[in-house]
Amino acid sequence: MELGMKCFKRALWIYHMNTGSCNGCDIEIIAALTPRYDVERFGIRLVGTPRHADVIALTGPVTSDMVDKVKRVYEQTPDPKVVLVVGSCGISGGVFHESYHLEGPIDKIIPDGTFVYVPGCPPRPEAIIQGVIKAWEILEEVRGNGRTTQKTEGEKD
Amino acid sequence: MRYTFIPELFRQLFSKPFTNLFPLKYAPASIKDTLDKIKKGEIEINPPVEIPDKEIFRGKIQYDREKCIGCGLCIKVCPAKAIELKKEEKKIRIYVGRCIFCGQCVDACPKGALSQGEEFLLADADKLNKEWVIE
Repeated sequence: MELGMKCFKRALWIYHMNTGSCNGCDIEIIAALTPRYDVERFGIRLVGTPRHADVIALTGPVTSDMVDKVKRVYEQTPDPKVVLVVGSCGISGGVFHESYHLEGPIDKIIPDGTFVYVPGCPPRPEAIIQGVIKAWEILEEVRGNGRTTQKTEGEKD
Repeated sequence: MRYTFIPELFRQLFSKPFTNLFPLKYAPASIKDTLDKIKKGEIEINPPVEIPDKEIFRGKIQYDREKCIGCGLCIKVCPAKAIELKKEEKKIRIYVGRCIFCGQCVDACPKGALSQGEEFLLADADKLNKEWVIE
């Protein structure tokens, strides 16, 4: 069990979900995975199900169709988790802010989540990598798994 | 004809990899320790990919408070309505979380008070932090 926990500590697995985005931010997330930026050297990779993920990357303002899906995906992700909001429309609505089918920005749907916001329309891949590093920092604080405190942590659990 | 690939092979063996190693080459054991070391100056981070054309790059908006006359033209053209007028002072306030970096306010400003910088690494955990509200 301890060995298993060690493996999960550093590599962040990301579940990407499009909540009504225009596909611009999705393309930039994929661009961060390509050989030009190659985030897989950090162990950051996209996974196919929220049950495997540490970070949920949400792009787009939440349309009324996606509200219950966002809630369900958020609940399926194991704790501790961070929601990475990519793009300006996830933060505040962006250009879609007055649209009739929006249920507000993402923090209105998940009021008690931990968020990292990446502004831009779309943000550059480096900005997304920086956002993931911010999320990593938060998760490290929550788990208390810096190299220095690693030995005592297994005993507590 | 059989070994024509050899020069190409040697070229690729000794050429620099295409990958941009931003911010570090490998994942560190502890990100917090590493960030502390970067703050102290012990480790240097690899710079991001160079901006192709600095003159037309659309980064974070920069606001020159002295030049602004509070005409409100930028508020009229902003498609995301990211700009707010402070009526008493006749100055504006820009929210980066709403801004889509289109640059229309820069074109519309008659006094040249707005410009776009080269800053684009803006991720943060707080939505209304000091960096994101330009006054």
